[in-house]
Amino acid sequence: MIEVVDLVKQYGEVVAVKGISFSATRGVTGFLGPNGAGKTTTMRILTAYAPPTTGKAVVAGYDVFEQSLEVRRRVGYLPENVPLYRDLTALEYLMYLAEIRGIRQRRERSYQSLARVGLEKRAESRIRTLSKGMRQRVGLAAAILHEPEVLILDEPTIGLDPLQVLELRKLIVELGKEHTVLFSTHILSEAEQVCDRVIIINQGEIVAQGTPAELRQQLERGGRVMVRVARDASGLVPALASLPSVASVEPFAEGLLVAPRSQDDDPRPQIAATVVASGASLIEMRALAINLEDIFIELTRQYTPAVQETPQPVAEEVSA
Amino acid sequence: MRPLWAVYKREVSQFFRSNIAYAVAFGVMLFLGILFSSNVYGGVQSNLSGFSPQPVTADQIALSTLGVLTFLMFIIAPLLTMRLIAEENREGTLEVLMTLPMSDWAFVAGKYLAAWTFYTVLLLLTLAYVLILGTIGVPDAGLTAVAYLGAWLYGGVTLAVAMVWSAVTEDQIVAAFLGAATVLILFLASSLAQLLSTRAELGGLSEFIRTLSLTSHYQDTMLLGVLRAEDIAYFVLVIVFALFVTTLIVGSRRWRAS
Repeated sequence: MIEVVDLVKQYGEVVAVKGISFSATRGVTGFLGPNGAGKTTTMRILTAYAPPTTGKAVVAGYDVFEQSLEVRRRVGYLPENVPLYRDLTALEYLMYLAEIRGIRQRRERSYQSLARVGLEKRAESRIRTLSKGMRQRVGLAAAILHEPEVLILDEPTIGLDPLQVLELRKLIVELGKEHTVLFSTHILSEAEQVCDRVIIINQGEIVAQGTPAELRQQLERGGRVMVRVARDASGLVPALASLPSVASVEPFAEGLLVAPRSQDDDPRPQIAATVVASGASLIEMRALAINLEDIFIELTRQYTPAVQETPQPVAEEVSA
Repeated sequence: MRPLWAVYKREVSQFFRSNIAYAVAFGVMLFLGILFSSNVYGGVQSNLSGFSPQPVTADQIALSTLGVLTFLMFIIAPLLTMRLIAEENREGTLEVLMTLPMSDWAFVAGKYLAAWTFYTVLLLLTLAYVLILGTIGVPDAGLTAVAYLGAWLYGGVTLAVAMVWSAVTEDQIVAAFLGAATVLILFLASSLAQLLSTRAELGGLSEFIRTLSLTSHYQDTMLLGVLRAEDIAYFVLVIVFALFVTTLIVGSRRWRAS
């Protein structure tokens, strides 16, 4: 159980997290956002590694700042770059953490934890000799060692090969059945596959949250529609702009970009009818939905497409 | 205590697998060994020649070895402690440890005690010289015991002071240099005090600096067999203070910045 209220984290002048609020219960909650969105910062606050500047975070029933030790007892954390002691064997590493955690039957529990991530055969291998995917799993085994109520995994699938990614996702889904799992990623499709709930964060603010299906719907509806016709489309602008459900129309690539007036009113049927009625042949029409890769590109290139109202938008093309 | 013990055990085993720790031990033992044998040889020669007004005693030789060892702590201590926290910091394993249910204090103390343990082993190895001297002379047991107790505490202080820098920077080389400088300053402080004492109006300051110096509590007292409570208190207080500072630095990320 994670409960976050108005969380702010400031590093000097930089505000990394700008007052976010959310809660997560049993199951897998995805924390989605481009690099630098504030995911790691938030996770570090939730694991009591660093305190929030203001705001409150309660994890497993304890305040991360006031009752840091209690929180740390109940949280399993896999940091982004998976720091490990490379000179130890996987088993030794887990036993070391188990001793600090005060776990009895350290060897058995460590071994079980390794078996859970499918690494029992490499228990005696030095971590330095393990592949990246195996190390990631050692890190995960370390995070679940003490059967924590809350599991926090920072980009656990990054840098793995496709097969390893699939295995790890399966494991995360599995873990979500018993634990509250918060896991971050910047891959939209990954969040859709693995998560029961998704929280999208960008520039330190939550821009959307809900189940993957809700989110997809919401984003598609809220997004603009791209229209392409067989001939020059500029003649269609006045007709489309006058539709009640359409807010604005502008040229875009080889077609038109139509922005809807409201989130709930899908303008596509009307657009299609108008285009056909004008005698033009409709070649393509699709909704432009939010995509993280595009948010990322937008942020890094300082390129802002037509959307202005919210910092939210943007991107990938989802076929309508 | 359990986390402290876990960290301590891991760190001790690190020391006994670490190249740098062995290199330090090798260098120190080699240097002291050469010094010792030349002292013994020179002492025996001088005593046999009958020309020296005062014969060289076994005590002098034993103590000069400890004198050199403690002087060398400005190099030994930073080399032994530079890795302790800086490496965990750089590798990111500190992030894992800091999210475990363990107090910062236990983490720092476990690390520190491991370094002190390694130093203790090093110090015990030099007892071989005392044993050798026992075959050719009669070292004063009391004098030797006090000098050794002092050397042990002296090592503890320099390690604690040098370790502070390992928490400050994640660069081990920088930590080592700053550690060496700090220990050297503590060592040379008594010379500065001496310099200041020539000016009457600076007498108070001079006395204060002298009290803070390592030499005024070891080379001037315990190494000569003088056992004083204030020297022991000085060593213990500086160790506690240095560990406290290190703990604060390690835990500083947990402070609420406004």
